[in-house]
Amino acid sequence: MAYDDLRGFLDTLEREGRLLRVPDEVLPEPDLAAAANAAGRIGEGAPALWFDNVTGFTGARIVLNVHGSWPNHALALGLPKDTPIREQVEEFARRWDDFPVAPERREDAPWRENTVEGPDADLFQVLPLFRLNDGDGGFYLDKAAVVSRDPDAPDDFGRQNVGIYRIEVMGRNRLAFQPVPVHDVAIHLRKAEERGEDLPIAITLGNDPVISIVAGMPMAYDQSEYAMAGALRGAPAPIATAPLTGFDVPWGSEVVVEGVIEGRRRELEGPFGEFTGHYSGGRRMPVIRVDRVSYRTDPIFESLYLGMPWTEIDYLVGPNTCVPVLKQLRAEFPEVQAVNAMYTHGLLGIISTRKRYGGFAKAVGMRAMTTPHGLGYLKVVIVVDEDVDPFDLRQVMWAVSAKVDPAVDVITVPGLPVVPLDPASSPPGMIAKLLVDATTPVFPDDRGHFGSPVRDLPETGEWVRRLQALRSEGVR
Amino acid sequence: MSTVICPRCAYETVDHVATSPVPGVWDVLQCGRCLYMWRTTEPERRTRRDAYPEAFRLTPEDIAAAQEVPAIPPLRTGR
Repeated sequence: MAYDDLRGFLDTLEREGRLLRVPDEVLPEPDLAAAANAAGRIGEGAPALWFDNVTGFTGARIVLNVHGSWPNHALALGLPKDTPIREQVEEFARRWDDFPVAPERREDAPWRENTVEGPDADLFQVLPLFRLNDGDGGFYLDKAAVVSRDPDAPDDFGRQNVGIYRIEVMGRNRLAFQPVPVHDVAIHLRKAEERGEDLPIAITLGNDPVISIVAGMPMAYDQSEYAMAGALRGAPAPIATAPLTGFDVPWGSEVVVEGVIEGRRRELEGPFGEFTGHYSGGRRMPVIRVDRVSYRTDPIFESLYLGMPWTEIDYLVGPNTCVPVLKQLRAEFPEVQAVNAMYTHGLLGIISTRKRYGGFAKAVGMRAMTTPHGLGYLKVVIVVDEDVDPFDLRQVMWAVSAKVDPAVDVITVPGLPVVPLDPASSPPGMIAKLLVDATTPVFPDDRGHFGSPVRDLPETGEWVRRLQALRSEGVR
Repeated sequence: MSTVICPRCAYETVDHVATSPVPGVWDVLQCGRCLYMWRTTEPERRTRRDAYPEAFRLTPEDIAAAQEVPAIPPLRTGR
């Protein structure tokens, strides 16, 4: 099932019991963010949250936590809502092999219904903006797919970037924008600024659920997010031409904001409560002038709460972080079974692998740190045996507790790069990285006395099925 | 409005950015110096200087020292 827009997906969420409509009148602050914060504090399986009765607004429609649980993430990929997370990641990796799937251009985009431009392009007239966390410097757009092109190759579709960045509303038609140097859009901006030019930009809000997943995914510079969306959807991604910039934007967006990043200009931005669970900001960031806003009638404003993990962003960027690391490792080491890099966008990752010979697991772990995403993340890598499920943290902790000899299996490598937002990095962007080899030593590494492991009984698999069947009968 | 100061940096020039679609319910204000933006109906810890947390306050020195990210690159020459 491929969704062409957010509305189609919300219909499915509601039908599946995965969308909760809040009927009460709520304050824009602190209620909207506090409710989405609470979604991460009520256990697994929190629903998406819908609000349409917000104090002071008329006709505002706000949805939060759309991707904020494994059932919702499964439905976003068109999988049954009870699909376990490890299977979601495996299916994601299988569909990755279909990349690239060329997008399908449609010109009847529903966001063409309404347009404001020039001095009338007032974001407050279109969007029910609100604050997320106490220390945030203002109201943020934090789930928008931002489209930009390489000024040196403006016709190169592959180098057109679609990414999620934090965007602060600085005025009716002004935004501040955070392109971290490792991000593709930072490359585009640098080239434009070297040329003394503004960088045209399109900011698309309220997208189909797969666009949000690919926009938050670490991909190579010349890989098209739309072509990846097509692979994940199992159908070409519908795109349309944005009227002012001419960029390719999602056909189904609720709102398309166009303008320019003003070249060679910076303004005070933030702070903003980040995915690390810490604020960052108080720095001078690039600013955007909004020139045109196109929007569907009665647009739905989709936002994302983030703060102390876990919140929606951990679900949104969990699987899409695991898959690139898994694919890159498997390309060289087919022994790799699974990668769980869902912790803080992959600042910590767990890898399960078979071993060719002694020391192999450590080599796999070090290789993970030098994958493109690992360079800026994977501060902590734990490697476990092939029969340990890295998504089952009980098993992982058993492996660490029983297999590790700290004298040999815990390795710290100083002076490596990390995303500057890592609050432990010092100076920002520099960190030591930790490798924990929690695998069973194999020849010629003859340490320990691991020769007699207790394995699951041969009949256990059958009993798993019997117990599950009995339990589901009991529920009925 | 004349008594309103920025909760974050105590600057005395505050701009009016937006007003509620339902008239008279709230306004959105912005500091003319540190650019902090807030809605008048937010909790006092976000809207009143005396209740604004120390940890989030900014001084003119903080603002002047703010780092540029990313740094503005040199212009290309010889084009």
